[in-house]
Amino acid sequence: MNVTAHTTAGNAYTFGFLDEYAKKEVRRAVLKAIAIPGYQVPYASREMPMGRGFGTGGLQLTLSLIGPDEVIKVIDQGSDDSVNAVNLRQFIEMMCPGVSTTTKTAECTLIQSRHRIPERPLTAAQIIVLQVPYPDPLVVVEPSEDKRKTMHGEADYSRLLVKLYEDLVTFDEITLSHRYPTRINGHYIIDPSPIPRWDVPKLNDSAALILLGAGREKKIYAVPPHTQATPLAFNDVPFRVEDFRDAAGRRRACARCGCMNSFLDEFVSDSGDKTYQCSDSDWCDEQLLQIERLRRKSA
Amino acid sequence: MNIESIWQAAVQQQVFRELVETFSRPGVVRDLTQWIGNATAHRAVLATLMDGEATLADPHGSIAAPDWRLLQAQRGAPETARYVAIDGSRTPDFRPALGRLESPEFGATLLIEIIAIGSGLLSLDLAGPGIDGQRELRLEGLHTDWLLHRADWVSGFPLGVDLLLCDATCIVALPRTTRIAIS
Repeated sequence: MNVTAHTTAGNAYTFGFLDEYAKKEVRRAVLKAIAIPGYQVPYASREMPMGRGFGTGGLQLTLSLIGPDEVIKVIDQGSDDSVNAVNLRQFIEMMCPGVSTTTKTAECTLIQSRHRIPERPLTAAQIIVLQVPYPDPLVVVEPSEDKRKTMHGEADYSRLLVKLYEDLVTFDEITLSHRYPTRINGHYIIDPSPIPRWDVPKLNDSAALILLGAGREKKIYAVPPHTQATPLAFNDVPFRVEDFRDAAGRRRACARCGCMNSFLDEFVSDSGDKTYQCSDSDWCDEQLLQIERLRRKSA
Repeated sequence: MNIESIWQAAVQQQVFRELVETFSRPGVVRDLTQWIGNATAHRAVLATLMDGEATLADPHGSIAAPDWRLLQAQRGAPETARYVAIDGSRTPDFRPALGRLESPEFGATLLIEIIAIGSGLLSLDLAGPGIDGQRELRLEGLHTDWLLHRADWVSGFPLGVDLLLCDATCIVALPRTTRIAIS
């Protein structure tokens, strides 16, 4: 069904739920966010038919971007089937007649994601929208937004570095497991949303445009393609990602597909045993398919 | 009633996606022909971005009176407006808003109409965010003073202006982060 047919069918909502004025405002903010990489552009985040904190910022970005020919994938912590992803996907399907949804990273043109960037490298034909709860990395060191805006403008992140240094003094390592502060194009430091450290290197020189939307905090920011994204670190304490090694120093494998180079989720069984499985469910399915293909070939 | 395609929401969504593409990949020329019918790219971009919240300046008188009513934009001075429509063959005679350190998004977007994008005598080498290495862009009909003034306006990042060049059917963006060398 195209947009015109959708309107004439008597549906009370416009395509994409948001009215055109709301979309235009988000769109103007998106273009400025891309032009000033890493800068949090304020916008008048609209009320959505779900609580703030449930991905309304990402959703407003998606609904302002989406067209009837879109192929969209919605994930929550890497999974297409968890509650947040299922609800947002259903809402998008309901409000955007004609769009296709998929679980396959390779097939989609637009991805809305909560807290993960897919394992499969994204392409130039794709845009990823990340849902952000807390957009400002400086909030842990400065409560005043006015002062934070000046600090961002001046690229004054010394107090953030002190915070990381205090971690080193207390724990011998930087303890941030997610929301790792990352400098974009040598100036602004962003909170890249609660993606694990594993995903932070994917921000650097990405082929796809990365958009981040915080609905409650009313901010939109972006990492354009082929832009430098450097996690904050010290010369003698380099940034490192999760290594998933066991006590014997061996890299753990996914219990389902055997993959040894993906981000793993930990599951604890009733008996207390721990198992590990790919966090990206599409990636895991793809690995299983490949194994199946190889098995058939050799049979 | 027959509404021109550029004022329709579905077309504005497509034009916006082309804008996203060209701002994300400065120097990549996007052709709007299939979306905008007989309208110019310049009018299509204005129709996509403007509403009553936006301030628009038209120092060279390039926007027709009936379009002003449909755009709904507030008329502003070129020195303060968030969007400025410009005839690229004229020389710059004003200094657009560059934003503030705390709010660099107030730096203007200059919508510059020129004769041709993708061909022409003016050859630019581009580098910066959105560009994998270097990209070449050829233009016709842009007074080079705009580029010289732009170099001054964008010298204090994050302050600056973002350019969107339009010919009859194509658009190309040069955001403030793009480093431009005239070759």
